[in-house]
Amino acid sequence: MKVMVPVKRVVDANVKVRVKPDNTGVDLTNVKMAVNPFCEIAIEEAVRLTEAGLATEVVAVAVGTSACQEQLRTCLALGADRAVLIETDEDVQPLGIAKALKALQDKENADIVIFGKQSIDGDNSQTGQMFAALAGMPQGTFASEVTPEDGKLKVTREIDGGLQTISVSLPAVITTDLRLNEPRYASLPNIMKAKKKPLDTMSAADLGVDVAPTVEVVSVEPPEERQAGVKVETVDELVDKLRNEAKVIT
Amino acid sequence: MLEALDELFSPGCVTRAADDLAHWGRDWTTAYKAAPSAVVFPKSIHEVVALVRWAGSHGVALVPSGGRTGLSGGAVANHGEVVVSFDRMNAISDFRPADRLVTCQAGVVTANLQGFATEQGLSYPVDFASSGSSQIGGNIATNAGGIKVIRYGLTRDWVAGLTVVSGSGEILECNQGLIKNATGYDLRHLFVGSEGTLGFIVEAQMRLALAPPPQRVMVLGVPRFADILEVLSAMQARLVLSAFEFFADQALAKVMAHRDLQSPLSARVAFYALIEFDDDALEEATAVFEHCVASGWVVDAVLSQSDTQAGQLWQLREAISESIAPFTPYKNDISVCIGDMPGFLDAVEMLVAREYPDFEVCWYGHIGDGNLHLNILKPESMDTQAFYARCHEISPKVFQAVAEKNGSISAEHGVGLLKRDFLGFSRSPAEIGVMRGLKGVLDPHGIMNPGKLL
Repeated sequence: MKVMVPVKRVVDANVKVRVKPDNTGVDLTNVKMAVNPFCEIAIEEAVRLTEAGLATEVVAVAVGTSACQEQLRTCLALGADRAVLIETDEDVQPLGIAKALKALQDKENADIVIFGKQSIDGDNSQTGQMFAALAGMPQGTFASEVTPEDGKLKVTREIDGGLQTISVSLPAVITTDLRLNEPRYASLPNIMKAKKKPLDTMSAADLGVDVAPTVEVVSVEPPEERQAGVKVETVDELVDKLRNEAKVIT
Repeated sequence: MLEALDELFSPGCVTRAADDLAHWGRDWTTAYKAAPSAVVFPKSIHEVVALVRWAGSHGVALVPSGGRTGLSGGAVANHGEVVVSFDRMNAISDFRPADRLVTCQAGVVTANLQGFATEQGLSYPVDFASSGSSQIGGNIATNAGGIKVIRYGLTRDWVAGLTVVSGSGEILECNQGLIKNATGYDLRHLFVGSEGTLGFIVEAQMRLALAPPPQRVMVLGVPRFADILEVLSAMQARLVLSAFEFFADQALAKVMAHRDLQSPLSARVAFYALIEFDDDALEEATAVFEHCVASGWVVDAVLSQSDTQAGQLWQLREAISESIAPFTPYKNDISVCIGDMPGFLDAVEMLVAREYPDFEVCWYGHIGDGNLHLNILKPESMDTQAFYARCHEISPKVFQAVAEKNGSISAEHGVGLLKRDFLGFSRSPAEIGVMRGLKGVLDPHGIMNPGKLL
């Protein structure tokens, strides 16, 4: 059974991002980049399927600039068997990525494709779903538990106010929620082994796919700065402020 | 008599409420019961001066209080003293970019100074697990060290100037940010590490460092204690380390249970080294790792793949103190020169095995600085007082081993109440005599944190 895991290179979750002065986007100069945290969970889940003897090959895929090789190497160190970079300098968006991945899937014929449920930069939560539609595959999104069962996947989904368990036939798309697993650290011996694992590069054009953006970002604004709080001296003053300033009581 | 405090301070800046006395009357040291008579919160240097003069003329003992994260009882008030909290003197009042100098009041929380430095595109590189609570005044009064000493030194190295209210109520402005100043005794360094026994630090000029380049964190599994030193020297021979920490598996087990974390390596190992270095030295670090594996010192290691992961790996070390706190640890904070480490480790390990056969022992520390934290955990069934009494009996034997290597019985926690009776293991009678003489000059009424250090 083959598992494909698309991963995204994003700003490190620990970085406090700054909006560019001209409001066209987030300033990425000298900013530390990392594997999108939900994609790390996806890789971990795929590697666990291999370790459990259920999967035979894990392929990590990225769509983006050549810099994405860094994140693909991390995935190889975490246990992926090989990696594919679909290289493009376009500002890729979910639909373009989904199309490129669909073209790759036509060659790879993976049985399970595991996505992160969303990336922490775009927050779109669209790529997995779009891919499933393009590929005509069933999808188990926001998964907190995935169990192979009788040639199908039993997927527990995190939904508003509870859990939903579904069964999907293979080949299938999974998108990972936070609670699915806790990703391991990359060990030094595995990082060194990863250097020798295959990382193939192809262009979007090689796959015959147009990944040009279709959505134009008009403006990016930082959140409004919160006003500093004030300390009140008495309960009466607090009640007065709640009533007359905040107007939350009458 | 204490009613006079209400005249010295504005309303709301004096408290005698039982809860407040218990809260501000102690630090993180668990061995003492808080019993101050009042807590005051000065808002200005002049209020501190007025308080010290009043206390001097009435013979009232004062205990300075910062973030109270100390581990030697330096900020404990257990004899009816008046606690002087610097919580409300917490302003960063000036920044001079050309000098990379920040002027801050004593009560500025260390993390706030770090944050301020980051906003200026610089860094305040002294860091410890308690930096979110500890205050700069307390850091200076104890010459706090922490986790980046191997690269950036101690708090002392970043103090460019101090304003101190001496025990006689005089304001001393010691070196005002100058790099070069050859005009006699540098009183600034006398107050660094003085634990509030000579005067109260009310304001400091702190030097900032350039922002560090991106960092990587590696955690290595080291089966044998002595090999940690081999790893250290192999690393130091080839790269600049920002940190070199170690911890025993017992310490890791406590952190994993307390914070619900996973093991960093796929298999458990007796000891771990956590190192941090510049990202562009990654290739060198990997080569040293391979050398360490080939030499049989290291069995496995993990490497941070993001700043987020670096932070997660740091938790394994930084959360130790908090994770073992429920076990009422008896803390030893000892240091020797790095060259003396191997023999010293053997001696202490044998001593601990002989003297504490029935106690759980937790080792960790800043081994790159020659500094070991040896924590003895209280068995659940044992009475706390009996436990401390027993540890107090054994401590002189540990300190004797320290003294034989000309080491320190308190590397970075200070002396306070906890180590006072053992000062002679690290300081000669002549030195202690000079220290007493200095105290007599600067604190003629003996009101400044009495009973601590000396």
